[in-house]
This record gives sequence, structure tokens and C-alpha cells, in this order.
Amino acid sequence: MRTHRVRAVTERVLRQIWHDKRVLTFMMILPAIAMVLFGYSFSGEISDVRIAFVDEDGTDLTASILDNLQADDAFDITPLATTEDPEQLLLSEGYTAVIRIPDKFTSLYYAHFAMGVATSAQGTIDLTLDESDPQIASTVRMGLADALMDLGEGGPVDIETRELYGVEIRFIDSFAPAIMGFVVMLISTVLTLLSVVREKVDGTFARVWVSPVRRAEFIVGYVVAFGLIALAQSLIVLTIGKAVFDIVINGSIAWAFACTILFAVGSVGLGTLLSSLAQTESQAIVFFPLVLLPSVLLSGMMWPIQAIPRLLRPLSYLVPLTYSNRLMRAVMVKGLAPWEEPVGLAGVVVFVILTIAVASVVLRQSAGEAE
Amino acid sequence: MTSRDSVFEALDATKRFGALAAVDGITLRVGTGEIYGLVGPSGAGKTTLIRMLSGLTRPTSGRAELLGAVMPSARRTVEDRFGYMPQERAVYRDLSIGENLLFFGQIYGMTRARIRERTRELLSLMKLEGHLRQRADRLSGGEKQRLSLACALLHEPEALLLDEPTIGLDPALRREFWDHFHVLNRMGRTILLSTHYLNEAAWCDRVGLIQRGRLIADGTPDALRARASRISGRDETEMEDVFLVLTKAQPTEGRR
Repeated sequence: MRTHRVRAVTERVLRQIWHDKRVLTFMMILPAIAMVLFGYSFSGEISDVRIAFVDEDGTDLTASILDNLQADDAFDITPLATTEDPEQLLLSEGYTAVIRIPDKFTSLYYAHFAMGVATSAQGTIDLTLDESDPQIASTVRMGLADALMDLGEGGPVDIETRELYGVEIRFIDSFAPAIMGFVVMLISTVLTLLSVVREKVDGTFARVWVSPVRRAEFIVGYVVAFGLIALAQSLIVLTIGKAVFDIVINGSIAWAFACTILFAVGSVGLGTLLSSLAQTESQAIVFFPLVLLPSVLLSGMMWPIQAIPRLLRPLSYLVPLTYSNRLMRAVMVKGLAPWEEPVGLAGVVVFVILTIAVASVVLRQSAGEAE
Repeated sequence: MTSRDSVFEALDATKRFGALAAVDGITLRVGTGEIYGLVGPSGAGKTTLIRMLSGLTRPTSGRAELLGAVMPSARRTVEDRFGYMPQERAVYRDLSIGENLLFFGQIYGMTRARIRERTRELLSLMKLEGHLRQRADRLSGGEKQRLSLACALLHEPEALLLDEPTIGLDPALRREFWDHFHVLNRMGRTILLSTHYLNEAAWCDRVGLIQRGRLIADGTPDALRARASRISGRDETEMEDVFLVLTKAQPTEGRR
């Protein structure tokens, strides 16, 4: 492998991108858009859920339940003294939930604890809930459970929580590491794919193939170019993350960059191997959703893998971004070294080795037997 | 049987794509300092033969040699001694003329100073002066083709494989290209090129007529004219007529 030829390929790829101002702009703006758009809209924070709180008991206990609910940002609570028909309230007044605390709730509640579980009737709260949006519905359930849990002395259970890693971590903090991998993968894969297909279509690939350039030099040339681009994109994500969202970074930025670049290498390999499946640029475009959709939906970027149906979960473990997310979150949020997240690191390394090996094989084929 | 003088050589070279034999047992030899023209209609197998000689395509059977090296297995030994111009105007559309030449110079290990020097020479030879910074996709078809030829000549190769270098050019520009070829030839370059313009055959030292993957005639333009004249009983001077006569006569003459 000769460095001057690698450098020639790298320099050429960077020049081509530099000349295409639209691609250049897109590349630099994508991380920003992804952070702002996904960051805001998927922040996971539900707010302004309208709830009617019907307190027919009217004791200190029920008042503190109301206080607890009102303290929750997710809810917009309207206290009511009584209701005939909670369902009617829900249907006609546009509430998402009606929480009704019946008369004698407080006395039953205390009696229950005083007398023991088996011997007494329990205090009951009526919850009428609009289930059309499961996520909102579960927020209401959890919010109500929290409000009841937090009644102080005499409450049913006391949960002592030790918060690890993500003390005060918000969605956006663990989202930024994911978006770094996502943006880098998308750009590196798509641009490599388009660039190699274009070389085949235009015939420049044949020219390079008969020249002294080796396959390895060709691939490394691309890898270096997109490694540099990945670095720039990571910087953008981090800058926006810090400036706009004030994200928390507990770990080493140097490790984060190193992991991103490693992931970019695999993405270049993926783009190269996909290029062998396309004869024209328009055929290549077919692969974009193939890269994009699983990464967005299955990688645990937007919601945890545990939230993905069991049936689909094995697919999650085939998506390279899944491992990048684990690795990047371990490094940036938990402040670990890459090898302390062995599954994520191994996943990314396997991705790199597999794609580069296959890319190197298919590159020979597309050079040898093209047309 | 490889002579020291042969620059391009095909020995019963055959390339099959499935049932189709794109090149069907072609044997030819091009010696140092020759301009050899592969002439024949589109789809006759000219491109495949050139790709075999350049090492891009492996012969299904038979062999292809370039400067004595068996292609593609020994292509590394001769890779910087020949220039190849593919049929597509193979230049980077989003790079300028200067950047295209810089890249192709760099991968052949030329220094930047030498690339600059050669770029100046070639742009003046190809009448592209002043276009150094122009992007390839803003060039006319003829200009792009001249750039493509310049890319193949940059590293001063002794052998040139040019696939349809004049395709799509107007007659005046085609003449100009041929003037370049003759200049290069006088400088000692060996050229094997393909064309489907039959009249260009007259400007070659030797011509191979290709039809459906087979070499149906091989010789100097004069020898081919004489042979066609013998067959038709008329005085065939136009290469187009020569080609028609020899094509028609082909089945009775048999293969090779």
C-alpha cells in the first residue's frame, strides 16, 4: 500500500464533495437538523395532558394527591367537586382522563393499612382513561401511580432509588450520541454508494482499476476521506448539542470521536458493497431507505430496544447502529472507555471487518466483469 | 511465441457472457510503433477485446498480453506503461480539468511539479488552454473527450489502448484527433484503438475488421483494399465498401 495513492484518492473524494455545494451543505446541516428536529420532537416529554380530578372525598390525603399530580409537568389538571358520569366528561369535555376519588376513600385507605391487607376493603380510585394513544395513557397511569406513591408516611411502598450514570439525564443527552452515529452512517454510506456507482457509470472506475491503484488503497482512500467528514459532523452535533440543548457529556470526547470514526469506516464498507448491487445512480437510491429505516426504527435511537416488539427485536441486533448507539452512549453518557461496553464495541468492530472484507471482494467483481 | 516486439497480443482470445461469445477466438499482434485500428460495427466485440488487453476482463479462454505480460494476472508489471481511454468519457464530472489531471497523475506516482508541466503540455496539445479550472461537466462533448485522452497520455505511457476515442466527434475534430495519434505515433507510441467509423481505418498502419466477435480480416489498409477488390472484381477504395465486401465474403472464407 502506497500512501501517495491513498492520498490521491482521499484528496479526490474530498474535492468532489467540496465542489458539490448542495451535498456539502446537506452534510453539514443534516446533523443540525437531526439534532433539532428529532431532539425536540422526540424528547419523550409529554405535556399538557388534560385530566379532570374529581375529588368527592375532600380530605388532606386527597388534596396531597392533587398536589402531586399538579406538580407533574405532563398534566394539565382541572379539579372538580363531583361528577355524574366520568365517561361523559371524557367524551364531551375533551379530557384524556378522569380521576375520581369517591367518598370515604381516605378512611378506607387508612383502615386498610391499620387492619392489614386480608381483612379490610381497600380504598379505590376510579380512573377513566382514553386509551387511543397508548403512550399518553401509560404516562397517565405512571403519573397517577407516582402521585400515590409519594404520599409520605403510610404509603404502600417506599422505593429507594439509586441513580447511576444518568443523574439528571434527559432524553436529549442520550440522544446526541445516537444521532452522531446515525448522521455519520447515513452520510458515509450514501455518499460512498453514490460515488462508487458514479465511478462505474462514468468509466473512471475502469481507469483507476488499470492504474497502479490497489483495491486496498482505493478503499482506504475513501475511508480516510469519510473519517475526516465524520469527525467534522461529530463536531457539529456536539457543538449544537452543547450550545442549543446544553447536553451532558460525562465521558471522553476523544473516545467519542474515535468510535465515530470507526463506525464511519464500516459505513464506507457498507456503501461500497451496496454499490455492487446497483448499476445506475437511480438504482442506488433504492438502497437509501434500506439503510435509513432500520437505523431509525430498530437501533434504539428513538426508543429503547426493549420497546421494540419481541418478534422484531432480533432484527435490531442486525442493525449496525444498534451497536454504535450502545457504544456511543457508554462512552458519552456513562463515561466509560470503549472496551467497558464490549457488546457495543464488538458489534461495531464486526461491522467494520465484515463490510470492508465484503467490499473488497465485490470491488474486484465490479471492476473485472462490469457491463 | 511472444515476440519481443509485440506490444499487444491476443492468442485465440475468447470472452463469453453466458451463451454469447462477445469475442470469439481472436488472434492478433500489434508491434512497437504501430497504429492498429479495430474496426467494426457497435457490439462487434471491440470493447471487450480492448478490456481483455487492458486487464479489466479475464478471457474465458485463450490469452491476452500487453507488453509481454499476460493479462490480467501479470498486469501489475506493466500497469504504468500503458494508457487506457475507456469508451465512456471517463473523467470526474465534478472535478475541474486541472483536478482530473492531478488525480490521474498522482495515482501514477508523478510529482506535482511534473503533473503541472505535463498538464501545460497536454492542454496546449489538446487546445484546452485556459480551461484548467473549468469543471468537466461544463465542457462540450469534444472538450471532454480531449480531456479524457489527455488523462490517458499524462503519465507518458509507451502503449495506448483507446476505445472509440473519436465517437461522437464532428469530422473536423476527428481529423484533429487523428493528427494527435500520428504525432504520438511518431514519438514512438504504439496505439491500438477501436472505431466504428470505417473511413478512419484508412489512417491506421494496420486494421482488424471485427464482426460478431470474430476477426474477419487483418492487414494494412492497402492489403485489405486489394483483397476486397479481388473478391468483388471492382476497384475498392472506400473502406466502407471494403468492409462490406469482406463481411459478405466471410462465411465462405471460414473462421480466421
